[in-house]
Amino acid sequence: MEIIEKIKTNKSIDNQTEIQKICLDKLQSSPLPNLRSEQWRLSNKSKLANFLDYSVNENNSKFDIPYPKNSQSTIRLIIGENCQIKLIKKYYSIQQLSKDELQKYIKEQISFFNQNENWSDLLNLSLSCKNNILGLKINGSKIPPIEIFSHGSSNSLNAKTLIVFLEKNCNVELLQVNLSEDNSSLSQSTFFCLEENSSLNHGVVSYGVNKSNLLNSLNVIQQKNSEYNLGSLHFKFNYARFEIRIKQSEGNAKTNIKGMQITKKNEQISTYTKIDFDGPNGFLDQINKSLADDKSHAIFEGSIIVPKIAQKTDASQLSRNLLLSNLAQIDTKPQLEIIADDVKCKHGATISQLNEEELFYMRTRGITLTEASKLQLSSYFQEIISFIPVAKDRWDLLDKLLNEN
Amino acid sequence: MQSKMKESHPILEVKNLFASTDNLPILKGVSLTVYPGEIHAIMGRNGCGKSTLSKIIAGHPSYKITNGDIKFLGENINSLEPEERSQSGIFLGFQYPIEIPGVSNLEFLRVSTNARRKFLNKEELDTFDFEELVKEKLEIVKMDQAFLSRSVNQGFSGGEKKRNEILQMALLEPKIAILDETDSGLDIDALRIVASGIKRISNAQTGIILITHYQRLLDEIKPNYVHVMSDGQIIKTGESDLALELEKKGYEWTDNFIKRPK
Repeated sequence: MEIIEKIKTNKSIDNQTEIQKICLDKLQSSPLPNLRSEQWRLSNKSKLANFLDYSVNENNSKFDIPYPKNSQSTIRLIIGENCQIKLIKKYYSIQQLSKDELQKYIKEQISFFNQNENWSDLLNLSLSCKNNILGLKINGSKIPPIEIFSHGSSNSLNAKTLIVFLEKNCNVELLQVNLSEDNSSLSQSTFFCLEENSSLNHGVVSYGVNKSNLLNSLNVIQQKNSEYNLGSLHFKFNYARFEIRIKQSEGNAKTNIKGMQITKKNEQISTYTKIDFDGPNGFLDQINKSLADDKSHAIFEGSIIVPKIAQKTDASQLSRNLLLSNLAQIDTKPQLEIIADDVKCKHGATISQLNEEELFYMRTRGITLTEASKLQLSSYFQEIISFIPVAKDRWDLLDKLLNEN
Repeated sequence: MQSKMKESHPILEVKNLFASTDNLPILKGVSLTVYPGEIHAIMGRNGCGKSTLSKIIAGHPSYKITNGDIKFLGENINSLEPEERSQSGIFLGFQYPIEIPGVSNLEFLRVSTNARRKFLNKEELDTFDFEELVKEKLEIVKMDQAFLSRSVNQGFSGGEKKRNEILQMALLEPKIAILDETDSGLDIDALRIVASGIKRISNAQTGIILITHYQRLLDEIKPNYVHVMSDGQIIKTGESDLALELEKKGYEWTDNFIKRPK
């Protein structure tokens, strides 16, 4: 209940948008998610409470992007800072969604929300003011790679929302970067709608510093013959939760996901995925990796829903985990829910430590234990990092993970 | 038997070595001395402790030395880490070379070569200089440059993996190389390439220990000494004709040499 009070005290009811009012009303009936529900039971309660400790900040403090400068070959947008964009070029256009389009789309989405499953989105939309919602409509081809930043500033709770429509036959590379300062909470909700024959190579890189918190929710609707590829990386958060919900609304679509979360110290990072096949001939290839060190906790829960209509679905979900300390914890649960009878679905999970024989082999070649471990980790990371668009060319993520994390 | 040579000092001395893993004794008093220029072959049944001996000399952390010493160039190395042993000049060629996905063979070779060069107070090589050096060494094992851009041993055939081991040996220029069943899984041509590589790399200053089951490698590389191991001990040592005798009579014949407790 406290969170509702906090949101209300921050803003008078007159200043709330219609969307905010709807979401606040929904939250009012259940201010916190049901912590016994499958989606939330492993979530660290005190860390979740800490997420809500900061007061809501609608203003955006300037921040220095610690990574490559903008380049002429990429389009860089910062949610809350430069939300005005209208690019109409020979082969493509990127335009903002109108207020009505945004409102209509979000309202429609909210009508499908489930209180527990979409609690992060409800929270986000009840907090996100219109300046912090970026809605884009993209069409055409030869579109330069796009980088979109969300930023959580110190001692505050920031909420940012991104909505992107990819129109028919459109092909885009988009990297989303969520950066959090010390003692901050960032709520990020993202909605993608991929129309027929469109393709999105999507990267999500989220990292914080000490005591940063993140609730990152991603909702994707794929129409037929669309292709959605997601490469994601979350690290350095006291508490982070990445929720992925993908719906292949008519089947006949392709989804590839390669995600990784890295936890150290006392951190908890979790990934929840739900992939719905609402038509035949859907394809999914998913790998989620967790690496947990010190006393940290990494969680993966994945579910693949294949109803009767989704015949000939071909889906694979694999969870591969590295446990680097006796005190660290990894929970992983890939799940399949299959009603259709003509499908090819598989799932699996492994939890292991660094391979001792590989380490010994490298050490017999004069490579120190520390360097050998780094080499091994770099090969573990590489599979995911190489799948993150834009970042793989412009950002030295591997170096950051090996030397700073 | 090993008394003919040696004005020079031994490269490797294993003295009355006992070792175990998970409290299970594996080596039960092995002694072996290798002088510069010598080639030793160790033969024996599966499970007799040959590979374990090689791993313990290389410093495998899963094995514990419970008694005895390993001296390399006169220094006791019992407590040295595997990387320190490698940097100082001990090379272990693996029976089953490990695949390391995602780590490029070229970078792996460069890092390990530089670790050895650093120990020898030689200048470390940058990528360009290293590529020059490695091209030269590739010729020894008749490997194509394409191997360098692949992940370490990943997708290599058995023969390619073994050639990659010999390439590493050529780059590291060890004082002593222990080659654990380098001949296993090789066809006749590959065996000749590997054997000729070993011969080209070895010289009067280096020692070689060949662990093998078969005479065919020893036809290519004639050892000075042949040792037969059984149940964690060397039960017989002879010259190269001992291997021929073993080939004829089998290991049962060597059971006669096992010292039975009275």
